[in-house]
Amino acid sequence: MTTAALVHVVVSGLATGSIYALMALSLVIVYNATRTLNFAQGEMLMVSTFAGWTVYAHVKLPLVVVMLIAVAAAALLGWLIERVIIRHAIAATHFDLLIITLGLSLVLRAAAGLAWTHDEFPFPSFFGTRPIALGPVRLAPVSLGIVGASLTLMLGLWALFTRTRLGRAMRAVAQNQRAARLVGISVERVYAASWVLASVVGAIAGVLIAPVIFLSSQMGFVTINGFIAAVLGGFGSMPGAVVGGMLLGVIENLAPLYLPSSIKHSVPFLMLIAILLIRPAGVLGRVTRPKV
Amino acid sequence: MPATLTVEDLAVDYGGRRAVEGVSLTVGRGEIVTLLGANGSGKSTTLRTISGLVKPARGRVLYEGRDITRAPADQIVAAGVGHVPEGRDVFVEFTVLENLLVGGHTVSRRDLAARLEGAFELFPVLYARRRQLAGTLSGGEQQMLAIARALIARPRLLLLDEPSLGLAPMLAREIFRTIQRINATGVAVLLVEQNARRALRLAGRGYVLETGRVVVAGTSRELGADPSVRSAYLGFGRTPAPAEGG
Repeated sequence: MTTAALVHVVVSGLATGSIYALMALSLVIVYNATRTLNFAQGEMLMVSTFAGWTVYAHVKLPLVVVMLIAVAAAALLGWLIERVIIRHAIAATHFDLLIITLGLSLVLRAAAGLAWTHDEFPFPSFFGTRPIALGPVRLAPVSLGIVGASLTLMLGLWALFTRTRLGRAMRAVAQNQRAARLVGISVERVYAASWVLASVVGAIAGVLIAPVIFLSSQMGFVTINGFIAAVLGGFGSMPGAVVGGMLLGVIENLAPLYLPSSIKHSVPFLMLIAILLIRPAGVLGRVTRPKV
Repeated sequence: MPATLTVEDLAVDYGGRRAVEGVSLTVGRGEIVTLLGANGSGKSTTLRTISGLVKPARGRVLYEGRDITRAPADQIVAAGVGHVPEGRDVFVEFTVLENLLVGGHTVSRRDLAARLEGAFELFPVLYARRRQLAGTLSGGEQQMLAIARALIARPRLLLLDEPSLGLAPMLAREIFRTIQRINATGVAVLLVEQNARRALRLAGRGYVLETGRVVVAGTSRELGADPSVRSAYLGFGRTPAPAEGG
């Protein structure tokens, strides 16, 4: 195998990995604020992407506008779900919430089937198809585009969480809710912001990946790999979500080169089992939380 | 002018039982008032109810004459009530500086820098440790950080829950000196403290709670001379002894 071909495989792995990383980030954002694993994340992403596509199907708007429509739909959906369902389950246990989001995912998928059928639709891509040649290496524009867009979004998230008042409040709530209330943070507002932010990040991932995996009511299932990425990196850690996503994407793409090609779809689960056996806290996760 | 804090006939259920039953108390402007009592007598629950973390079953909490009984905790903080909870509750994964910044959540960007400066002036050790994770600080430093964090919002009433708990005597004395300095700037203090002797020396008045009720109230001098208080909280027998200075 030539180095050029290897680079190509790794870069397209990084592209898939970026998407997993974004999905992992949306799961982690909601988890950190509310300790809820949002099983409906994939379906929220799917509905938001469909919303953008529906507008595009009627009026041929620039794709950037389609992306913005999907983002707006996602923000609204995230806000509604938090405000109408999750907030009223304040006395529910984590397990109850798990079941609620699981039910929500079924409802959203069924509703999407009614609205848009269960068929697959091609989704327009931001990026051209003509490979970009860097010396002997030929790279697909879609891979570079996905990696670039994802990294930009991650940088934005990093700035949000480290540089802004809202981001700091979200991290404070993740650590200690009582203390967060006592410095004047509205924990309820942080919950809502977390659902909106996670939904928006998911929608961007959805619009980026839809041209590759097609748009369908089933596309939300790809979030399972986002979940695995989050576990690989250490659930709850945002840098871990990024590292886990990239790792998963690259290994998933490399494995068929060295192993039977049918292995590809098993790779995420094999990696999940491996990390749980070797280092259950994940690559960047803390093994034990410091107790003070 | 209304008192800084007025608590009227407060009853609170906490942890599946009635933790506070009919507590009334006041804290006047610039006063230090202490709440004494054994573990589980309802002191912490009273503080948590004042700061809005827990909602009472009955009664009212007035801050500067305004009814804050049903207000959410974040609004009570914004109104000027600081609460340093038992166990300090610093954000262990934040640096010292980040803890102080988040303490300024309700403070305008314009004022924040000056408030930080004030905090570092009061606690120079925090400035030296500003880039250190709060989880790596000693107990005394964490207590200072918790107090400094509450002060960033410039409260006019500070609720302190066991500030000297688990601290070496020298550090505890330093914390108490700091409370005095904070009070000297006009901040009223409601102090829950296991060390009753030291609390009475600092406070002008006090209340003694037993199983959620106020059983004795008075000036520190009166409480220090009260035989039941002396035997239960000051480690004296029932034999009368000379009164402590207030």
